[in-house]
Amino acid sequence: MPRPAGHFTIWQSMKFSLAVYGAPHASQSAATALRFARALLAAGHELYRVFFYCDGVHNGSALSAPPQDEADIAEGWQALQRAHKLDLVVCIAAAQRRGVLNSSEANRLEKPAANLAEGFELAGLGQLADAAVNSDRLITFGQ
Amino acid sequence: MTLHIVSKSPFSSSALSDCANAVRDGDALLLIEDGVYALSREMPEKLAAAKLYCLAADAAARGLAVPGSIEAIDDARWVSLCTEHHPVVSWFK
Repeated sequence: MPRPAGHFTIWQSMKFSLAVYGAPHASQSAATALRFARALLAAGHELYRVFFYCDGVHNGSALSAPPQDEADIAEGWQALQRAHKLDLVVCIAAAQRRGVLNSSEANRLEKPAANLAEGFELAGLGQLADAAVNSDRLITFGQ
Repeated sequence: MTLHIVSKSPFSSSALSDCANAVRDGDALLLIEDGVYALSREMPEKLAAAKLYCLAADAAARGLAVPGSIEAIDDARWVSLCTEHHPVVSWFK
């Protein structure tokens, strides 16, 4: 938000983090979170981290293939990640449970394939706590 | 002052009434997603002290008219509401 201060305008940039709990196919919440991320970056704020938790881990699947007339939310996150070097973190415990694995986890758990999309990484819940502590605002997008 | 965000319909979830019990004078409430269905009936009395907003696009997508007492906003205004309020609490159960 620009704030007039005498002859100057001070741009008060804030550090945001988002917690995304919804799968792209299950509710509107992941699409809302992606739109909100675009809006806050367009306003000049910083996006410190996006943490995908619970069913939100499906946002990080490289194997989802929505119909062409529907928005591809995972691809939307990836494009934003490339443009703004975002930290897209998928909760590792929630992801293992739902079959979202990177190659080292797939090897370790002796699973036949890995499907974590490019631009996302697996990490623990500590990264959500870290985001809460190090951001001015943590916005939760529910299931 | 808190910004409360309600994303579930009052016809299928207790999110709005739970939120209403927690709202204090000067708080703001934003209806998003199916939360905008709250526009189709009386708002809880406990919300009288709160400034009310809804996402214009979510209301339009559901064919709901926004009454004059509620401000219809876009995503950019939502971001600035988040900067003006602390904490920001989401209600979705």
